[in-house]
Amino acid sequence: MNLFKLVWRNLLRRKGRFVFTLGGVAIGMAAFVSLLTIGQGLDREIKKQAQGLGANLVVTPKGWCAYEQISVLTGEQLPEAIPMSEVDKIRAVPGVKNVIPYVNEKTAFRNRPVPVIGVLPEEMRALQKWEIAAGRYFNGADEPAVVVGAAIATQFQLKPGDTFTVRGNPLPIVGVLSEAGNKDDVASFVPLPVVQELYEVKGMVSFALVQVDDLQQVDTVSLRIQEKANVAVVTDKQLLSSILSIVGTVSGAMQAVAAVGVLAAAFGIINTLLTAVYERRREIGIMQAVGSTRRTLFAAFLLESGLYGLLGGFVGVLMGILGAYVLGPYLTDNAFTASLRQSPEPSLDGTTLLLTFGLSIGLALAAGLYPAYRSTKLSPVEAMRIV
Amino acid sequence: MSETSASVIRVANVSKVYGAGEAAATALSEISLDVARGSWVAVMGPSGHGKSTLLQIMGGLDRPSCGQVYLDGIELSTLGSAQLAYTRARAIGFVFQSFNLLSHLTALENIQLALWFGGKESKEGHARAIDLLDSVGLADKAHLTPSALSGGQQQRVAVARALANDPDILLMDEPTGNLDSASEADLLALLGRLHAQGRTIVMVTHNPVVAESAQRIVRVKDGRVEEDRYNGS
Ligand SMILES: Nc1ncnc2c1ncn2[C@@H]1O[C@H](COP(=O)(O)OP(=O)(O)OP(=O)(O)O)[C@@H](O)[C@H]1O
Ligand SMILES: [Mg+2]
Repeated sequence: MNLFKLVWRNLLRRKGRFVFTLGGVAIGMAAFVSLLTIGQGLDREIKKQAQGLGANLVVTPKGWCAYEQISVLTGEQLPEAIPMSEVDKIRAVPGVKNVIPYVNEKTAFRNRPVPVIGVLPEEMRALQKWEIAAGRYFNGADEPAVVVGAAIATQFQLKPGDTFTVRGNPLPIVGVLSEAGNKDDVASFVPLPVVQELYEVKGMVSFALVQVDDLQQVDTVSLRIQEKANVAVVTDKQLLSSILSIVGTVSGAMQAVAAVGVLAAAFGIINTLLTAVYERRREIGIMQAVGSTRRTLFAAFLLESGLYGLLGGFVGVLMGILGAYVLGPYLTDNAFTASLRQSPEPSLDGTTLLLTFGLSIGLALAAGLYPAYRSTKLSPVEAMRIV
Repeated sequence: MSETSASVIRVANVSKVYGAGEAAATALSEISLDVARGSWVAVMGPSGHGKSTLLQIMGGLDRPSCGQVYLDGIELSTLGSAQLAYTRARAIGFVFQSFNLLSHLTALENIQLALWFGGKESKEGHARAIDLLDSVGLADKAHLTPSALSGGQQQRVAVARALANDPDILLMDEPTGNLDSASEADLLALLGRLHAQGRTIVMVTHNPVVAESAQRIVRVKDGRVEEDRYNGS
């Protein structure tokens, strides 16, 4: 006989209660793992999108705030509010290397919405370092043709030579981009003047990306642009941090939910063990009479609760990983993620899993303290009289 | 001085009152009793007159309401809970009137549990537990739980458990109460051997024939010693 054997036998005495309590712990921990994992995945995805931007400054119409700025990353449809004349003024600002104006529109293709992005072909290609997977790139700054992203090509089974429709107008597809891993995969690209004509927004763009000559000078250049042109400017870092702060509140809420689940699990353990102490008070008395120390009784109950944490944590982590993949797409389904090429992959990292596992065991041990203490407060003779 | 060292158990003016107020029940009233080392004492007396209470107080399972109990000259109330547990595990073997086996453990495991409390590891505990069951004639019932054993068999497992840690003092509450005459004779023979090895035995019994095996017979009535005589005197 040893402590572990004794505790294991006790644990399995009430199989139903064991399973339900364990289930409570596992579910609490699963919620914790999956919500944490989903949140981290979202974070990672946003950073990836921001890197895909490839620019140092983002020029937007005056008065744009964080929520609108997000759409620069997501490729949503945007009003065209910056005149090309302002874009030309920006080009003339010292320290500006490159200005890439965008028109973000949407078209319905085979009854599905597809972003249509109007770009300056050469500048765009230089900025994004696009590779062509099939066909060719635009043959000029105003060729009425379409280049589609990799995911769009796969989704609609498109190849060069097929016809794409932009606002009802058929345009030939000349090329398919290689997979870029960001929002460019789920968009179609058309030379800027063509889009401006089709959408009747001649001379206007949605926003512009700016590359600077010297990264050290980003802030100075930003100020100069705002002096010269009637626009608002944010750096890519500001953009990223404002987006992360919005998403952060979402992650925070998810973490709060996870914490509640974990606490409920801990109370489940306390409840089960207090019931066990009550049920077993006669045998606790017998054990004391036969020579058990209080320390042994205490350790036995503590180990019992620790095992709930260990087993529940293990099952919970596994369930949580599964849950992150299955539920993740639904939980992060919002304006931001909807426009991502795919919903963010949950980010599984060992530290989170180990942390959760440790938390589960630690919390279970803490939950066991009170019942374990109660078990040592029984007097043998009184306890043994209970029938 | 010589008197105390000869008495392995000494009960001095012990009273035990259960409950309080109207419901108070006096189980022992100022009882005194010395048990010499290596002696074999039978405690007899009518039902409900305090025999079990006396035995429990001697074994340190319960505290007297007044008076002192000395084991090997040490007053029990001066022991801390860990020392008391050690004493219960190593120095005393207790057989309860209602056996008090743990119902979810097998006969073998019940004994192993006591061995573990006495500090024996699982490995050596197993062989010893089998030996002990064998000594009470139950080696073949090792893996049955108490509910699958008869009353007499449970009682013998309880005896084997009491012997687990080779205690010097055996306190047995009606150890033969549920036994047929053959098993009773076997158990008395076992106790005789233990007594011959120098162990102190105090046993409660209603059976005069069983009491005759002891050297000394103490009659308890109304929580007091009514008669105290040596066998053959
Ligand atoms: N825990 C208790 N609470 C209240 N009263 C008790 C308790 N234990 C014993 N008593 C009472 O104390 C008295 C003595 O009980 P005890 O068990 O010592 O008798 P006994 O001599 O062993 O009887 P029996 O021969 O039937 O076993 C009885 O009146 C009993 O009701
Ligand atoms: Mg009794």
